[in-house]
Amino acid sequence: MNLAGLPRLRPTAALGGLVFVLFAMWYAASSQNNAAAYLLFFTLSSLFVVSIPHSLLNVASLKATTESVKPTFAGDEVSLPVEVTNQSGKPRYGIRVQVPDSGGNEQAVDEIAAGRAARVLIRFPARARGEYDVKRLCLASAFPLGVLRATKRINCHQRFLVYPKPEGNPRLPRDGARSAHNRPRTELGEGDDFAGVRAYKPGQSQRQIDWKAVARGHPLMTKQYTTEATGALYLDFATAPGSDPEARLAQLALWIIEAERARRSYGLRLPGTEIAPSLGQAHFHGCLRALALFK
Amino acid sequence: MIRKRDTRIPRRPLLWLAAALLFVLPPLFDGLAFWVPTLLLSAIATKFWMEPRGYRLRFLPLKLALVVAAVVAIFISYGAIKGIEPGVSLIIVLMSLKIFEAHTAREFHFMVMLGWVLCLCGFFLAQDLAIAVCIMIAFTLLTTALVQFYRGLAAGRIWPPLRGALVLLGQGMPLIVLLFLLFPRVTAGFRLLLTPNLTSASGFSDRLSPGSVESLAGSTAVAFRAEFPDDNLPPRAALYWRGLVMTHGDGMEWRFRETPSSTSQELRGGTTIRQWVTIEPHGALWMFALDRPVTASPGAILMPGNYLSSGQPIMKQRRYEVRSSLEMARQDLQPSERESLLEVPASISPRARELAQSWRATDPDPHAIVGRALDFFQTQRFRYSLSPGEYKRNDLEEFLFRRRIGFCEHYAASFATLMRLAGVPARVVVGYLGGEFNEMGHFYLVRQSDTHAWCEVWLPDTGWTRVDPTSVVAPERVNFGFESFLERNASAGEMSPGFTRTFARQPFFAKIRVTWQTLNYAWDSRVLGFDAEAQEALTNEIGLPDLKPVSLLFLSAIIAAGFVLVLAIWMQFRARAQPDPIRSLYARFCAKAARLGAPRDPAEGPVHFAQRAAEFLPEESGRIAMISNSYVALRYGREIDVSTLRQLAHEVHLFGSGRRANPRSHRGR
Repeated sequence: MNLAGLPRLRPTAALGGLVFVLFAMWYAASSQNNAAAYLLFFTLSSLFVVSIPHSLLNVASLKATTESVKPTFAGDEVSLPVEVTNQSGKPRYGIRVQVPDSGGNEQAVDEIAAGRAARVLIRFPARARGEYDVKRLCLASAFPLGVLRATKRINCHQRFLVYPKPEGNPRLPRDGARSAHNRPRTELGEGDDFAGVRAYKPGQSQRQIDWKAVARGHPLMTKQYTTEATGALYLDFATAPGSDPEARLAQLALWIIEAERARRSYGLRLPGTEIAPSLGQAHFHGCLRALALFK
Repeated sequence: MIRKRDTRIPRRPLLWLAAALLFVLPPLFDGLAFWVPTLLLSAIATKFWMEPRGYRLRFLPLKLALVVAAVVAIFISYGAIKGIEPGVSLIIVLMSLKIFEAHTAREFHFMVMLGWVLCLCGFFLAQDLAIAVCIMIAFTLLTTALVQFYRGLAAGRIWPPLRGALVLLGQGMPLIVLLFLLFPRVTAGFRLLLTPNLTSASGFSDRLSPGSVESLAGSTAVAFRAEFPDDNLPPRAALYWRGLVMTHGDGMEWRFRETPSSTSQELRGGTTIRQWVTIEPHGALWMFALDRPVTASPGAILMPGNYLSSGQPIMKQRRYEVRSSLEMARQDLQPSERESLLEVPASISPRARELAQSWRATDPDPHAIVGRALDFFQTQRFRYSLSPGEYKRNDLEEFLFRRRIGFCEHYAASFATLMRLAGVPARVVVGYLGGEFNEMGHFYLVRQSDTHAWCEVWLPDTGWTRVDPTSVVAPERVNFGFESFLERNASAGEMSPGFTRTFARQPFFAKIRVTWQTLNYAWDSRVLGFDAEAQEALTNEIGLPDLKPVSLLFLSAIIAAGFVLVLAIWMQFRARAQPDPIRSLYARFCAKAARLGAPRDPAEGPVHFAQRAAEFLPEESGRIAMISNSYVALRYGREIDVSTLRQLAHEVHLFGSGRRANPRSHRGR
């Protein structure tokens, strides 16, 4: 048996109640010399004694593993998927999974059959930007009597990113810095000149759907506009408005989101880092990651 | 999906709790004012209406007002607030109010605890087997409620949580027994004065007045049980259980009076019959034994007049050993005693006095007088009846010469009075006659309905001699017991036995009844009767003499700790994962292949590995392919084919054995 992996038993408040009831039973039995009351006292004591190994073993052979966490913006919720596996040959009951010190809620799993696993999502608030590491999971159970709580800590290494909270002015900076080629380009996205329609893809802004065409019975199409862009948009930490670095990062995060939404190619300049202009999910997350890890 | 810790009480645990409380109720209805358990019952019912609607008792002044009202109501019902019944009532009323109020998980746990306290209260009020069964069911259901609550709610069926509770209790059973035998039974020096109110308890009083025994005739309550450890059962006609001797006569009413200590005891010789009597509490001093007891049991005195008297009122069940002798022994009567035993009130009926003296005038021999008196009862058309109508204290004349219908107490009282009037010293003995013999448990069960009164007269040659006037009036009452007497009368149309009684006479039900009585007796004598003395006897017997309570406590703790350890190891052993045969066979194959020089890469799939291994071990390639194919089929196929599994086991067994001849050639690569 692995002693280090043995769960810890902690009394709950209910144990105080149980001790009180046991004492009352003993007192009544001995002062009345009442054998039936003694029997009740012994039954309840034995029940408690027997429940100790039950509550220990209920969490002893459980294993928990984390799965990768999607990055979130500060202020949102982190969802950490946890898989709890029952490695024993008996079902396990009433397991609660929590991440200590995360301020998150605990998730209950009512029953895990022998050899099976259960999956829970633990949500907790993402506080400040940065990279975090979930080092520990805690499995707890008050089964069967609720007077003892067996907890098992499980080490894990689950890193996740929290992006800065997007805040500030949603208008993209005009013509912040010209690109080296200085060649006028047309950029699709928000602009003034109508450039035709394209098939709607889920996720695109509904404001640009050609509703009139829909009303005529056509499929969903989005209207495309162009702006006369004078070059790739560079989002620069140095020129971003904001009094302190965090505010600037928040503004940059918002701009990244807006630029991505506008399908406008953007690059990022941070002190010591520069990301060339591009578009797309990978680029988007790369930029936000740079903001999250910025020091 | 997100369940917070302190939210509403889920419905299912609440159902279990309610079921448990229903089983706590019977002893409460038995011993308490009717409205108290009714309140609890209605609280449970209302809770199920309130809970889904989110209603509960919130307003604090209202709660306090209800508590005060409850205390006042209890005071009005019982006239006191101290004592066992008011105390238990208070707990129940508070529990009921708590049910109205509770709605969180913690409060649910609190209610379960209160349920356990109610179980304890039930045992305060009554301890017989039926009650114990009820309470143990309630206890199990309370445990089930807790298990259901803490195991979570997904499993919505009834059986799993109940099974969980039964497993816990079942595993605890050996520990319960050990603790019961070994846990020190110290009587706490601080005595709670919680004596149950025994006025309602059955039994006769120290006054035999017309109608006093009659009122007990309908009571089926158990008076006591007697076992004959030496197996010498007395004849049926000798089953007179002596209770109390009444020496103060007043016509139809006889009273018990402390006999002067000068009265000598009779010590009879000859063989004695040993009995173990388990007596039910009756709140008085007297104890019962076969007529007549000759030895006193511990805690009791053999009183002059040869009856047993306890040192203190019998408030709880008690078991004692006593010896009785059925034989007669001569003994002298002091003149002063004789005088007091002839006392009759001056106001006695002149007609009765005349009758008695006429007998004495005919023949002064006491034997003849007794014979004449019995003749009188036999020939003058006296009748024996359960409902003889009302007699007053000095209605001796009315009884003897006019109505001539009575119950055993009328006959005993009048006969003893007549004897005294005729100059024969006489007294009345109250006790029990007969009883029901339990074949299975080999004991006599004597009920309150077996209460009987008879006479003793002092005859010069035999001393105090039993004379039962009832036996000449209604011989079947004496010979067959009260129940059969009732039955005969029923067939004669005097009274209807009732459907249930006839029903209970069926052999099948009679068997159930006998079994139940045996269990009852075992419960009373082995469980309830196990006290500090029995414990000492037991520890002496198993060779642990003179253990102090502290060392017994220590021993109990060690036993409990050892028990937990053994249980934990056993459970761990039982809960180990069952190895998957397919996987372990394949692991064995891989281990063999590794020994032959072709270790499997952890990331390598079985098909890939088979190809590589076959290249490396060309002479085994056929077998490798077969093993690999059947493994893949078993592991990833839809269902497990037993013959394929057997084949896999066979091939894995044979794999590599061809190479065993020169294993060294491939070792060490």
